[in-house]
Amino acid sequence: MRNADRLADMPLLRPEEETKVREWFAELERPVELLVALGPEETPRAGSGDVDFGSETVRVCEGLAELGDRVTFRVEDEPEGFPRFPAVSVRPEGRDVGVRYDGLPWGYELGSLVGAVVEAGRSEPSLRPESLEALETLENELALDVFVTPT
Amino acid sequence: MLLAFRMALASERVTATAIEANEFPVLAQEMEVWAVPRIVVDGEPRWDGAVPEAEFVRGILA
Repeated sequence: MRNADRLADMPLLRPEEETKVREWFAELERPVELLVALGPEETPRAGSGDVDFGSETVRVCEGLAELGDRVTFRVEDEPEGFPRFPAVSVRPEGRDVGVRYDGLPWGYELGSLVGAVVEAGRSEPSLRPESLEALETLENELALDVFVTPT
Repeated sequence: MLLAFRMALASERVTATAIEANEFPVLAQEMEVWAVPRIVVDGEPRWDGAVPEAEFVRGILA
């Protein structure tokens, strides 16, 4: 069986995980949109097999959107502002606030995307007051890139 | 990763991008990613590994 077929048959989450995510998504205070950006993909590191990263990313976001009424997803082909594909922009109330996942969020990193949706669904930031104060001192824009792997 | 996302959601000046290192090996090599998570601020690698919130904020604002 090809990797791509094997993945397509795999459920996104275990039943107990799905129940938990449904509970979290039910508590979202505002809608969250997942914008999936598709486009030309880089050749991944050896060992990634024949996975179709773009269509798998669509499947992941479609699956998450099924778990909560306030979570929606849509797909765009090469939208502006996306340097890499596939990518998922996590948008509270459909606004681009600079929260993005570049690549297929699978394995351990599916948790990061779920977490991003939960955070984006809060009407107030969940950071400590000291952190918020420190961020207020920022005079310039700050770009945080966090390199991750699915395992 | 979530801390970076929280920062971006809390401040209009901050953006946070998770980058899957295996899918973007050229960039990962440029940023000398040998361990994850690797935190890069404004294109400059800063540190590897998860840290508590206060340390994270100090690290990105340093």
